[in-house]
Amino acid sequence: MNGDRSTQLSESAVEGLAGAALQWTELLQRSSEQLLRRAAGEYHEDEWGFDEEFAEAVFPVFEFLYRVWWRVKVSGVTNVPGHGRALLVSNHAGSILPFDAVMIATAIQKEHPLPRWAKAMVLNWAFDLPFVSYVMRRIGGIPANPANLTRLLEQDHPVMVFPEGAKGFGKPFSERYRLQRFGRGGFVEVALETGAPIVPVAVVGSEEIYPKLGESPLLARAVGAPYVPVTPTFPLLGPLGLLPLPSRWRIEFLEPIDLSGYGPGSSEDRSLVFDISEQVRDTIQDALYKGLVERGPAFL
Amino acid sequence: MAGKRVVIAGVATRWGTDLARALARRSEVGEIFGIDSTPPDADLGRTEFVEADIRNPVISRILPGLEPDVVIHCGILWYPDKDRPSRALHDINVIGTLQLLAACEKTPSLKALVGRGSAAIYGSAPGAPCFFTEDMSRHNPLRTRFQRDIGELEGYFDNFARRRPEVTCCMLRFQVEVGPGLDDPFTRYLGLPVVPTLMGFDPRLQLLHPADATGALAAATLNPVRGAVNVAPDGAISLSRLLRLTGKTSIGLPPLLAGQAFKRIGRQLAAADMYRDAELLIRYGRGCDNRRLREEVGYELAFDVEGAVRDFASKSSGVQRLFPSPHPGSPVRAKSPVRAQS
Repeated sequence: MNGDRSTQLSESAVEGLAGAALQWTELLQRSSEQLLRRAAGEYHEDEWGFDEEFAEAVFPVFEFLYRVWWRVKVSGVTNVPGHGRALLVSNHAGSILPFDAVMIATAIQKEHPLPRWAKAMVLNWAFDLPFVSYVMRRIGGIPANPANLTRLLEQDHPVMVFPEGAKGFGKPFSERYRLQRFGRGGFVEVALETGAPIVPVAVVGSEEIYPKLGESPLLARAVGAPYVPVTPTFPLLGPLGLLPLPSRWRIEFLEPIDLSGYGPGSSEDRSLVFDISEQVRDTIQDALYKGLVERGPAFL
Repeated sequence: MAGKRVVIAGVATRWGTDLARALARRSEVGEIFGIDSTPPDADLGRTEFVEADIRNPVISRILPGLEPDVVIHCGILWYPDKDRPSRALHDINVIGTLQLLAACEKTPSLKALVGRGSAAIYGSAPGAPCFFTEDMSRHNPLRTRFQRDIGELEGYFDNFARRRPEVTCCMLRFQVEVGPGLDDPFTRYLGLPVVPTLMGFDPRLQLLHPADATGALAAATLNPVRGAVNVAPDGAISLSRLLRLTGKTSIGLPPLLAGQAFKRIGRQLAAADMYRDAELLIRYGRGCDNRRLREEVGYELAFDVEGAVRDFASKSSGVQRLFPSPHPGSPVRAKSPVRAQS
């Protein structure tokens, strides 16, 4: 009996290996074909420069970060509509690379019954950085301005915005999870004009991946960036310092706020815009505090 | 109603000649007159050629005599030519435009004025809107000298529009053109044996097919609208994909080297002052919104960006591909150019 089982086992192992080898050769063949095709320029880009094939090719990296590195837990993903326009408003952190945007997009891809690639509004100066600008655009990053946001929503895309902007992205570690001012409420104006629902998103975990201790104005001037953060590992360890810390993440998609009742003219009502902006901010802040308690220790 | 009487200033330029030919086929167009200082190389068909220099005040006596309904100003030159050095450009553009507008003021029959402008007025910036609409030229400061030159010319047109409100003044802002047989700085840039790009940057570009450039000009002649109109194709293409589709080899220059290199290449390509704009374009790219052209002028573009690039790649000689295309049937839109109804 035992002997039988072991031969069966070894047979299935051999079969499994052969299967894997076949899969690998197929994958290799497919990817080499894809590479050749791409080298000839035969692939699709949308008018924003988003390259779905490229995004899919780098997706395994995001998946690894999502599943293994940050152990992301997602709730309320169905609050993101499966069709039509939607404005995802989230807290922003990271100080070096905007992984929160990447993880929100990955969460929608992996968990949503109708997955779509969400585009992200990215700070202008990112498009002034070599290579970063290049990759950013390919995976759905678009310079943040009202004209782009309006056009994207009119085309019925889901779009992520981070109204805290650089203030939130570059805040020191000691101020983590304290939401900064939400700009001038430009995102609310566009939401009112286009009638897009606002989906508040609370991301817990992103604020520990690069604990920012200080800034280096000297380096910032040399690189031409608005600021260069100093973390325990960056820029001390060079590119190795870009490795984010493995904190535990929770992404909570909150109840959408429907603004279609206000009508298109309402975007000029400043007090309404600020009220909605504050409401969204409070919602996210509450969810952040709750999420922090639920998550418990940051890294274990 | 008899057909519109049309005067094309700068008819010897490529755009002027192409426009004259396109309009000659249209029954809504009556007599066509072409003005230029030198006769055009090509046969203009039923267009009557008038030899005159628009920089000369004599134009104020000639133009009213032609009794035009529409004047199209194709005499604005956006880059130097072999026989038109960059120093002469300013003279031709500014003085020529001022004299032509002065002549237009003395032409009571005039109903519409169409100018051939450039979308370079929007410039290129990292955080710019991906699709400029016509009103955005006011928001962005004009940074380069070339931008300011365009702004100055548009300013003259705006002034004229204010002084003669009964004349429909239309300024078309053309995106970069690329097409087989074209001889302009961008096509020359693509024709370099190894195309220099900026390391780490891959701009979004919009490239207009020359047939659409002429088509849009003709459509605006027959159905002019007030103010600026972008002439840009649908979609956008990254420079890297453009180079791959045309089978070009490229080299990414590091930023320290790029400034000097582009300056030198710019001079060699006879783009003169434009190299600074071209450098920014190759770094950040530019896109324009074309809804006004479609909806108000009523011109339906025949090519999207990809179509224009594929047409260029298949017809331009000397382009060799490193890899043969596995999809020889190109998805160029198989629509024939539909002209505007007026």
